[in-house]
Amino acid sequence: MKRLNRDAWLAVFLLVFCGFMFWASFDIREPDYGVLAPSVWPRVILAALSVLCLVYLVQSLRAGPAAPGDEAAEGPDSLIGYLSYWRNPIICFVLFAAYLALLPILGMLLDGIVFVFVLLCALGGWSPRQLALHAGVAVIAVGGMWSLFTFGLNVLLPTGTLIPGI
Amino acid sequence: MIIENIFAAFGEVLQVKTLLLMMLGVAGGLIAGAIPGFTIAMAVVLTLPFTFAMPPAQGLATMVSVLVGGLSGGLMAGILTGIPGTPSSVATTFDGFPMARKGRPGLALGLGVWSSFLGGIISAILLVTLAPQLARVGLEFQPWDYFMLVMFALTITASLAGKHLIKGLIAGALGLLVRTVGEDEAVGMARFDFGTEALLQGFDFIAVLIGLFAFSQLLNDVRDPALARKSLSEKGAIQARIEHLSALKEIAKRWTIIVRSALIGTFTGILPGAGGSVANILAYDQAKKASKHPEKFGDGIPDGIMAPESSNNATEGGALITMMALGIPGDVTTAVMLGALLIHDVVPSPTFIGEEPVLAYSIFIAFFIANFIMLFLQSGMLRVFVLVTHIRMYMLAAIILGFCGIGVYALNNVDLDLWTLLWFGIIGFLMRHFGFPLAPMILGVVLGNIAELNLARAMAITTDLTPFVTRPWALFFLIIALFSAAFPWFQTARGKKKWTLFYMPFACFAACVPMAMMAWQHNSLPRGVIAVIVLASGAYILWHRWQSGWSLKEHAGPELSEG
Repeated sequence: MKRLNRDAWLAVFLLVFCGFMFWASFDIREPDYGVLAPSVWPRVILAALSVLCLVYLVQSLRAGPAAPGDEAAEGPDSLIGYLSYWRNPIICFVLFAAYLALLPILGMLLDGIVFVFVLLCALGGWSPRQLALHAGVAVIAVGGMWSLFTFGLNVLLPTGTLIPGI
Repeated sequence: MIIENIFAAFGEVLQVKTLLLMMLGVAGGLIAGAIPGFTIAMAVVLTLPFTFAMPPAQGLATMVSVLVGGLSGGLMAGILTGIPGTPSSVATTFDGFPMARKGRPGLALGLGVWSSFLGGIISAILLVTLAPQLARVGLEFQPWDYFMLVMFALTITASLAGKHLIKGLIAGALGLLVRTVGEDEAVGMARFDFGTEALLQGFDFIAVLIGLFAFSQLLNDVRDPALARKSLSEKGAIQARIEHLSALKEIAKRWTIIVRSALIGTFTGILPGAGGSVANILAYDQAKKASKHPEKFGDGIPDGIMAPESSNNATEGGALITMMALGIPGDVTTAVMLGALLIHDVVPSPTFIGEEPVLAYSIFIAFFIANFIMLFLQSGMLRVFVLVTHIRMYMLAAIILGFCGIGVYALNNVDLDLWTLLWFGIIGFLMRHFGFPLAPMILGVVLGNIAELNLARAMAITTDLTPFVTRPWALFFLIIALFSAAFPWFQTARGKKKWTLFYMPFACFAACVPMAMMAWQHNSLPRGVIAVIVLASGAYILWHRWQSGWSLKEHAGPELSEG
């Protein structure tokens, strides 16, 4: 039942997405020149995608509930369970989003070191020995990469407002 | 003229800095390929930002080196720990690990290393001879043919998702849709920008690639907290020295396995979407069927290592043939290399080899030389691999995620690329979770513009749609796209349903029609001969099955799936 709901709901979500994008395609301006209007190709893709999603929906409704032992269907039952099961990926996403949000303030070098350090601790542990190890790894790894790109490849990486120049 | 170009290309590749970069690339690829959970495509994708500042030949030589290293690196983990480093080395573990456990890890490694080397060399020779020929064929392609070629590439990639064909096709269509965001290539109109200037630029497809592939893969690798805190060595790494001489003696006795597997690998690589992960299983299966002792496969037989390792290194030569001759990536890694060429304002197409001969031959030569560097470095990298096995997965993941941020920003110096990395990392992660293959989406992103441009060109010539089915090449690609879309059903029903007996013969009959049309139009004897051979093959298969009383028992085959 869980697997039936999941695939069917996913197909419905994709169909709604197709509808939304098709509606958005009416905002594409049509030029007075050219044979193939800019909106044609996206609409062709969306039409094909909609047909595929309908087939996916029909297949998922016909498939019925998952068989016992189906790994994809087994999993946490509650929200807390889901959060616990997907803890590490969620941590990675949240920390990366925070890294992006803090980039204008801290600059790429400092922000990168903080990001890698916090991520290492969140995934690996917070004991004093691990804190020291993770700090060292973050400084060496990010510092090394930053130096390679800045001095070796002459790439301008963003600086922050907190410490100008870094 | 060709000789001059080859000498010029040697001059580009045989510079000290380029050779050093190639050695670093091979070393990095060997280690990356050896670490389970860290795919070759990821290693090549992550190399891309470094190559941005390099001259095109140097950058591509480096990426080719990472590729060659990665293909061979997978065998180290597979043989020593039983866990394949990459999907291209899955079949190697079937006999490599048992041989290592029987006390011959050095021989197993030696067989793997030398088979990889020889497979790569055979593939490099085929690359140099076939790519220019295929490019000449590609010059016949008109926009309708190119469009159908892209559709075929997406379909066959999706078909590798097996019973999840619909999910594969959905992923491909989503990839095509992603590429429409921003200004359209033909007339420059804004699409799906929702009034924001950021989206007007569109999504940088390298950032999309790194997000979809690398970011999501890393998150998958650290999903289990307990496993993420373990190092590879806790799973039982064995110290070993490579036994080169013993391996060479074994290979000399069985050289036909190397040649056959290399050919399987090269021609598998030519097919868009099919890579080492398919070739190694195919080659293993063929070696087992051709062996006088098939019952020994799985117990640590040398043939079981030689076949997959020879074929997986050969696939990249095949994939490079397609990319360089037609501008269509043969697999995800060549899709990244195509991206590298585009960054350097080089557009691969049938005219690429003719217009940029020095760069083209540089890639050929780099691929050739990288195999020698791999052979030279493998022993040394084995020691480094043993050290790397002590690093815990979560550390690798965190460092690489940190690198992703710097590397992606370095592409265009644009903040949107970093957000693209995050969004597509989330999308890629969810796709993996829900069972959607990523390769079709990646190819859709890479090929979306090519498909639209060729469609626009076709419509500019005539608004009549019939050339899409009446032009021989377009018809040929349409037919093989349809049969490849049906392939997963054929695989599932093979040996069980009567209709599967007619699948291959009818595919042959259908494919010979456009070939015969080409022979007629171009007055070409070779194509006519090929059409007759294909027709005869279909007829022979049909006759053979009729002779065996339409028996279903003989037709089981290997399970093929995207790695």
